[in-house]
Amino acid sequence: MDALTKDFGTVRAVDGLSFLVEAGSVTGFLGPNGAGKTTTLRVLLGLVSPTSGTATIDGRRYADLPDPMRMVGAALEASSFHPGRTARDHLRVLSLSAGLPTTRTDEVLAQVALTESADRRVGGFSLGMRQRLALAGALLGDPQVLLLDEPANGLDPEGIAWLRGFLRHLASQGRTVLVSSHVLAEVQQTVDHVVIISRGRLITSAPLAELTQNHTTDVRVRTPDADRLEAALIAQGAQVRSADGVLHVSGLTPPDIGRTALREAVELHELVQEESDLEQVFLSLTDSVGSQP
Amino acid sequence: MTGLLRAELLKIRSTRMWWGLLVGALVFVAIQVVALILVSGQQGTPSLDQVSTVRTIWASAGTGSTFALVLGILGMTTEYRHLTITSTFLATPRRGRVIAAKLLAHAAFGVVFGVACVALTAALAVPLLAMKGAATLPTSTILQVVGAAAVGVAVYAMVGVGVGSFVRNQVAAIVAALVWVFLVESLIISLLPQVGKWLPGGAANAMMQATSTRGSLLEPWAGGLLFLAYGLAFAALAAVTTQRRDIT
Repeated sequence: MDALTKDFGTVRAVDGLSFLVEAGSVTGFLGPNGAGKTTTLRVLLGLVSPTSGTATIDGRRYADLPDPMRMVGAALEASSFHPGRTARDHLRVLSLSAGLPTTRTDEVLAQVALTESADRRVGGFSLGMRQRLALAGALLGDPQVLLLDEPANGLDPEGIAWLRGFLRHLASQGRTVLVSSHVLAEVQQTVDHVVIISRGRLITSAPLAELTQNHTTDVRVRTPDADRLEAALIAQGAQVRSADGVLHVSGLTPPDIGRTALREAVELHELVQEESDLEQVFLSLTDSVGSQP
Repeated sequence: MTGLLRAELLKIRSTRMWWGLLVGALVFVAIQVVALILVSGQQGTPSLDQVSTVRTIWASAGTGSTFALVLGILGMTTEYRHLTITSTFLATPRRGRVIAAKLLAHAAFGVVFGVACVALTAALAVPLLAMKGAATLPTSTILQVVGAAAVGVAVYAMVGVGVGSFVRNQVAAIVAALVWVFLVESLIISLLPQVGKWLPGGAANAMMQATSTRGSLLEPWAGGLLFLAYGLAFAALAAVTTQRRDIT
């Protein structure tokens, strides 16, 4: 993605966006609804022509790839099926157009656990089944690169759990996966790199670990003797916020705090490293840009 | 390209739409043939003694073309309506080839429609015309007329693909096409024949020698060429409009 810009009429959907997805990584492509994620993916796939800039895969435009579906698999919308066509026929149509052996249809149907519904018309499918059928379509060419647009949209918790396992499985095979989402939690456990955009502009592109690191977390301490412990901790250089007998401590690790409490003979009822709330990071990052005029 | 063509044929075969349209075309043709034979010679309508009347009855096979036109329109607009156009162009980024395959596939189904309409026309017209003691046509003329009718039906399917890629909204495309065929064009042909004979419908009529007042139409060969030119123009329209369009 290099200095990509796309205008729809007077609306600038993507604005000078540049980022790189490393081969073999699972990258979360995040941003609020309307941030330009789908447009970016569609430009990358040659469906939408950019106003300026380029989007390439392996240095080539999608349309210039000799055998695109064998290199790149994409699942863009869960609803892009003819309701009167069966799942198997949908995949056979794709295989024929892409010059893939039609034997692949049965294999990918099995991969997404749709074998039993293969000969049903898609009109009767649930949203989760459609999402899986879209994934099956992306997998037809057994591609090294997968682009998935909001694959978790509309899935129930069971479906999301299934998708997570599936993405992990794909990643373990060394594939490059770019998965977009407007909900960080959906992909947080699967991705190792995140690209965050808002209003068509890049906010950050970083390894997930780095993003978590920069966002320091507190240790939560519950004790009946809050005042005494607070004083002792501050004496050791920690910052402490206290509320209702609960201390939020930063600057010290849980073992440090435990030792201090033991020395001061203060009773502890709870000593917890708080979860890094990535969702908060995400919201604060996308908000700060969103509020600019 | 063979794979693409097979894919487009499978797209048509794998839903039930073409079947319904074929039945519709056959019913339409049957009504046309039977009605023309029954009313001819009554209340000033041309009588069956005239060769031109009999020729028009045989040309009824061509009225199935409207259903082929709708088949073509649906073939293109369903891709936009159900967003399958996305996966279509992902599988084949070279859009010109997709359009070429789609035109060919619909022409092939158009031929099936055309042959079925001709067969039904023959099955009805031969016994009914004999029963009514109608004028006999030379076999060569009959073959010319029904051959032209079958070609006309096939080309209309391609025209439909062109219309559908220009007007992507399914309902709008079908309504516009039907209003044009049944209202605008047929009025112009009957009220302003000097203009009407240059329109696609007029050219198709000329090709099928489908009217008793032949003077107002082009010669069959000229009509045929003009009609095929219209077919090519719509095919080109399909390719041009689709080439650079953003698929969102």
